[in-house]
Amino acid sequence: MNSYLSIVNRYLAAHKKKTRLTMISIAISVALVTGIFSMLDVFLQYEKMQVIKDIGNYHILVQNPSEKEMQSISSRIDVQNAGRWIDYGRGSINNIKCRLGALEEKIADNFDLKVLEGKYPTNKNEIMIEKWTAESLYLDKKVNDTIKITFNEDDTEREFVISGIYNDFAYMKAEGIPALLLSSDSNNEINKYKDLYMVEFKNRVNINKAVEDIKNQLNIEGDRVVLNERLLAVIGQSKNSSALWLYSTGAVLFFIVLLAGVVMIYNTFNISVMDRIRQFGLLRCIGASQSQIKKIVKRQGLIITLKAIPIGIFAGVIITFACSAILKFYNNNLFGNISVFNFSPIGIAAGILVGFLTVFIASSLPAKKAASVSPVNAVTGSNETKTKKTKKKGLLTKIFHADIAMGINNATIKKKTLILMSCSIAISIIMFLGFNVFIDFMHKALKTTKPYTPDISLISEEGLSNDLYKDLSDIEGVKNVYGRMFGYVDATFDAEKLTDNYKEMMEDIEVTDNGLFIPPEKSWIISYDTNQLKWAKTDLLEGELSEDKMNEKNGVIVVARQFRNNIATHTTNLQLGDSVYIKTPNGTKELTVMGILRTVPFSDSELNLTTFITTEKLFTELTNKSRFEAIDIQLNSRKDEKTVDVIKNKVDDSITYLDARQKNSDINQTFFTMALFVYGFVAVIALISILNIINTMNTSITNKTRYLGVMRAVGMTGKQLDKMVLAEAFTYSVVGCIAGCILGVLLQKFLIESLAETMTIFWKFPLTQVIFIVIITSAVTLLSVISPLKRIKAKAVSEVVNSL
Amino acid sequence: MKILKTVNLSKTYGKGNIKVEALKNVSFSVNKGEFVSIVGPSGSGKSTLLNLLGGLDTPTKGKVYLDDRDLFSMKEKELSVFRRRNIGFVFQAYNLVPELNVEENIALPILLDYKKPDMKHINELLDILGLSERKHHLPNQLSGGQQQRLAIGRALATKPSIILADEPTGNLDSKNSKDVINLMRMSVDKYNQTLIMITHDQNYASYADRILNVEDGVVTELGGAR
Repeated sequence: MNSYLSIVNRYLAAHKKKTRLTMISIAISVALVTGIFSMLDVFLQYEKMQVIKDIGNYHILVQNPSEKEMQSISSRIDVQNAGRWIDYGRGSINNIKCRLGALEEKIADNFDLKVLEGKYPTNKNEIMIEKWTAESLYLDKKVNDTIKITFNEDDTEREFVISGIYNDFAYMKAEGIPALLLSSDSNNEINKYKDLYMVEFKNRVNINKAVEDIKNQLNIEGDRVVLNERLLAVIGQSKNSSALWLYSTGAVLFFIVLLAGVVMIYNTFNISVMDRIRQFGLLRCIGASQSQIKKIVKRQGLIITLKAIPIGIFAGVIITFACSAILKFYNNNLFGNISVFNFSPIGIAAGILVGFLTVFIASSLPAKKAASVSPVNAVTGSNETKTKKTKKKGLLTKIFHADIAMGINNATIKKKTLILMSCSIAISIIMFLGFNVFIDFMHKALKTTKPYTPDISLISEEGLSNDLYKDLSDIEGVKNVYGRMFGYVDATFDAEKLTDNYKEMMEDIEVTDNGLFIPPEKSWIISYDTNQLKWAKTDLLEGELSEDKMNEKNGVIVVARQFRNNIATHTTNLQLGDSVYIKTPNGTKELTVMGILRTVPFSDSELNLTTFITTEKLFTELTNKSRFEAIDIQLNSRKDEKTVDVIKNKVDDSITYLDARQKNSDINQTFFTMALFVYGFVAVIALISILNIINTMNTSITNKTRYLGVMRAVGMTGKQLDKMVLAEAFTYSVVGCIAGCILGVLLQKFLIESLAETMTIFWKFPLTQVIFIVIITSAVTLLSVISPLKRIKAKAVSEVVNSL
Repeated sequence: MKILKTVNLSKTYGKGNIKVEALKNVSFSVNKGEFVSIVGPSGSGKSTLLNLLGGLDTPTKGKVYLDDRDLFSMKEKELSVFRRRNIGFVFQAYNLVPELNVEENIALPILLDYKKPDMKHINELLDILGLSERKHHLPNQLSGGQQQRLAIGRALATKPSIILADEPTGNLDSKNSKDVINLMRMSVDKYNQTLIMITHDQNYASYADRILNVEDGVVTELGGAR
């Protein structure tokens, strides 16, 4: 022993259990900060790739560029790549609708466009087609075949030679509209529908500044430059209000994460220092100065931190690796090239910084307190517990037994411990509630495939036969087949049930003597089978969706939200039980409203009075139609080409075959990339919070070993001891839970209401989340006291009492 | 040569109804090499007096001079340094550092003074204490008497101007108590150490050169036993 500071090592070695708990606590906090920040960092990398895949790798586009503008932009030093995208609008090939465009070869890569066969079109009469369109079902063409296309823009037919075949555009494939690409620079005589110049800047260029610069230099009017907001948002350069909302929400939440790290570390450190007050007093008696005590406490902090930080960093990095691994596994095409071992310098740095900084702060404040302890108090053992002058009313002992009352009293008498313990729990809850906002945002911002989203749809205006429906159902590998019939009917009901809005729109609606009106427009009617009715349940506002009951009682379902020219409106106020009269070929039929749906996943281009849904049986009775307009098919596996081939064989010329598999999996992947991280954040926070509560409780009990021993010595039974400790633990939890829920809910409200106005996310009280929190916190509190109590009870009373 | 002097030392706790006058205008002095014992019933103010003498507590009024230095005019930091160099404490509850072994407990006050411990001196102390065989033991591996002897050794280690002992025999049986008292008597004789001891036991008080009696916060001299 060469220095008084060696006492620190001795202390740590002699109290392995306590040291370990403190270390775990710091490691947990560091893991939290490292994990969350690394995940954010890695998430942005993945999200950037995803966005580039979804909408293309360009930062800005210039509409209708002139030669001079293009030249000057492409020669800029901060521009990585730039090229032209020309839209020649719609066209048709043998009555098949198609889209026509041209993409300059040098930026083909930016849009994930790859030539699979043949070559890129360079000459005026050359054209390139998508792979799916080359099949016999569609254009039935090979490379070097000729193709005649009518251009809608100038109504001219032109002939082209197919120079190449390129990979599929998922959205075009899903809609069944082929996209054809011409040469980008040799078709100047064709009318352009849109002429765009796509620009990709180099890394780390201040894009907003560059855009201003370009505008000023070339005198481009503002609205000719369009920003790729999603890509800019991901790289942190967007000024769009949604992106700014995300940034500020992110900043608030990540600040809370930092704060949580600080509070958690501070709390454990405080517990561990307060526990040693007596020892510090003793050292003061034998001549240690205040600054020496501070040094001892700080040294202790440093040693623990040096051991805990690497563990925390390691854990945080592992969490991030796990996310990368899951993403890679799920979407190997896009993320195959990214290494799973994706280190985030930012995350690691944040972890280290928080670890050291907090231990520094957390050790200097308790150190100050430890140093200022009067040696007399410490040595004589008289605590600094200030007894209040007001007489205790003994209220607690009137309500509870002595054991529980003591537990609550133990928790409340030391205000600072109570505050710190509760804060530590509360901040975990605040974090959890705060990050849940991102889940709302994600569901709002990104499309997902729904249970009813079809992989393949067959559409025919003449109708699809029931035989085909049966055939399709029998194919192996097909999960679900469901058909829909669409029709228009004249429907009327009590005129009072029309909204004022609709009445104004229609102006004079004639009302007959019996209170009904003469329908100014047709109503759209759709047939649903059992499956579709089941899926629609998520949108059900009132009533029920039962095929049998509807058939039995002539039921009909009203859709509340009506789209007119793509604008959502409400045209009716129909309620459950209202009668609807529909004109059928066999006279007017009375139906009863049995359910109200918020919306349906289809929209009609016609203007309709309203939309009704009914069963297939009733639909046929109402319209005399019994052939499906559309049959949707879901496959067991989207990659099952065999089944797809069988389906394709059943399709004839009258049927349009739409393949949405790639689009669906793209949508799912886009969603999954974000969901993994958003749920990852929430999961990590929940996990860390739980560990934190367990550890804090554990620490607080372990440090009370002696006190609990004394209680047993004066005659407390094991059960009473359990009750006392539990009462104390629950006091911390309850206070923490209440504070955390109130502040967390307020934070959610604030983040959503004041910042997300443009996002159309609405705040509502997060009841399920709060219930979840209460249950989890209680369970964790209960769990966390069991093991330390067991340990203490296993020891002999004398052993515990005499331990200093 | 006077080493310790108190002037009108007073200490009151609380206010109003619960006001307690623990010490009332205490004035006395102690010469170098004197062994003084303080006796008195519980609650008479003995411990308060000792804490004030050691600068562990602040008086309501009055002064304490140790080696001609006014303890309470010193700043906290100065006082700490002064205390570790000039005052040794021995407590009823030993108050050893449980994580340090015998040798290290003795060396600790020297290390706190940023000095290299003089191993010769420490070994000599261990010999006198009868703890040479146990210098690598931890405090909880020692008997009560051994622990208290160790605490005295720790107080002696820095060769302080004065040692203050608060009921050093309070937790010990008569044999061990006698050992401890003898050890203290010997340190006074051998090192010309000044020592003030609080005790309940008139027998042990008689080992001292002078006896002070404290009753209701008033200190009176009972005269020397020897």
